[in-house]
Amino acid sequence: MPADHRTASEYRRYLRQEMMPHILCPGCGHGIVLGALLRALAGRGVDPDQVAMVAGIGCSSRLVGYVDFCTLHTTHGRAPAFATGLKLARPELAVIVLTGDGDGLAIGGNHLIHAARRNIGLLCVLFNNQVYGMTGGQLAPTTPSFQRTATTPYGNLEPAFDACRLLTAAGATFVARGMTLAPVPLQDIMAQALAHKGFAFVEVLTECPEYYGRYNRLGTGAEMLLAQGRLPEAVADRLARKTFLPVREEGAGAAAGGQVRPGLAFGILHREERPELTEALRAASGGARG
Amino acid sequence: MSDVRSLLLVGVGGQGVILAGTIVASACLRAGMDVKKSEVHGMAQRGGAVYSHIRYGPRVHSPLVEEGGADVLVAFEWAEGLRWLPYLRDGGVLIINTEAVVPPAACRDRRGWTPGYPEVDVARLRGRAGEVLACNARALARRLKHQKVANTILLGVLASRLDLPDAAWQEAIAATVPASTVEINLRAYQEGRRLTFPRDTAPVDGSRRPVQARPSSRDGATAFLIDVVDGWCKGCDICVRVCPEHCLRLNGRERVEVIDAAACTGCRLCEWLCPDFAIAVRGVAPVLPDTARRTE
Repeated sequence: MPADHRTASEYRRYLRQEMMPHILCPGCGHGIVLGALLRALAGRGVDPDQVAMVAGIGCSSRLVGYVDFCTLHTTHGRAPAFATGLKLARPELAVIVLTGDGDGLAIGGNHLIHAARRNIGLLCVLFNNQVYGMTGGQLAPTTPSFQRTATTPYGNLEPAFDACRLLTAAGATFVARGMTLAPVPLQDIMAQALAHKGFAFVEVLTECPEYYGRYNRLGTGAEMLLAQGRLPEAVADRLARKTFLPVREEGAGAAAGGQVRPGLAFGILHREERPELTEALRAASGGARG
Repeated sequence: MSDVRSLLLVGVGGQGVILAGTIVASACLRAGMDVKKSEVHGMAQRGGAVYSHIRYGPRVHSPLVEEGGADVLVAFEWAEGLRWLPYLRDGGVLIINTEAVVPPAACRDRRGWTPGYPEVDVARLRGRAGEVLACNARALARRLKHQKVANTILLGVLASRLDLPDAAWQEAIAATVPASTVEINLRAYQEGRRLTFPRDTAPVDGSRRPVQARPSSRDGATAFLIDVVDGWCKGCDICVRVCPEHCLRLNGRERVEVIDAAACTGCRLCEWLCPDFAIAVRGVAPVLPDTARRTE
């Protein structure tokens, strides 16, 4: 929590204020995630010219249009690939990838896991709203089982990706999950991810009231946001501890027909030290580049 | 053709635009004029646009009013009035109802107001028409205990700016509206005809902008100022729901406003959970009690 109340709202200087208000629907949680990220950046006192934000296609990717950094709005799913090239050319920049669950885990799944495998120094923020929001609410690889979408009107029969376990397995050296209901721990996760050397992956659960919420009758954006507090795993003290939590909690719900949300752990789930790609490249090139 | 006058009545479904058009045409006939009328009333049940072109004079050949050709534009609804404004001729008279009816298609949050709906701000119309007569006809009709006669009130305003005899209007109203409502409609007509602008009609509701609240003060503790960027707020209700002190509420335009600034403890939940960056909580210098100030 910012100690000085007079400067606490200064993160808004990172916004392209003339572009506001943004196009996202009322109640959409994406803006909350962006706010936490901007506050983490403001807390580090970064120069906006030393930050590059790279995004693909989707609701979450639209956010790069509203921030006053160096920004790239790239092709669908390929934001990690563009960011990899950018980081290799300009390793001194803080390169941040904003991607959605459809963008990062479906069409761009390959790019994402290979960026994690290479351990290149990017921060990848994945906005998980469990649905394809921009194109009309179709099934995403993160849609929980039995949930309705535009393309699964009788309920989704497929299991959902657990993005954090996927990225841990792929080799990401910092993996965390946050939620929009807890903006302070989220900001703290973002700050730690920004300080991390190597590939940092932060998945954030956010709300899509307009499609996911409407198809599944989850109420308004405010109601969906508050409902996050009912996730049994989302207990505030666990978040505060930021410890690795047991990944899956198979409770009575599983026995009662399997209609249970996938168990999700929150906080910083994985952290390890491994050579970062641009540093390894520089070391390998030895005196050639100086 | 200068002896032909062109009127345009616009509104949305359910406001009685068509009935009002019929009364105007009937009044013209009773005044011995030639009159032609053309109207569109499709989609009215879905809040769609309804409009009526009326032209009258010694001899009228076409009922259609062309762009920039209307002598008087009567808008029964605020946004429709703005939409049809180009049809008004230079120096024409704009009679506009400040009541807003948000069409279903614009209800992106399915709750009513959205930022897409134009601000009801009569001051902005200045210079856009020769004469602007703005009133909330629905509110005036409620004062007559019969809110359906809002259209007749606007007809009264129209009559005050046209050269048709008063008797023709009254006969037309009596002959057109349902028999049981003749009396109230005639009263509404007289009410509209007597209105003086803007004395009877100000203040116009909706043009107030609640943006900043007074800072809270807690006897020497840090006070907090809740800044709301009105234009960025989308009325999602999150801040209202999470504020532990119930400092905020959604106003009639579905934007947030501060109702109890003094209760703010500076917890910043509203700011951190606002997806639209519309709220900032600022700490300001401690407000010292008067006694403390005197001893300094």
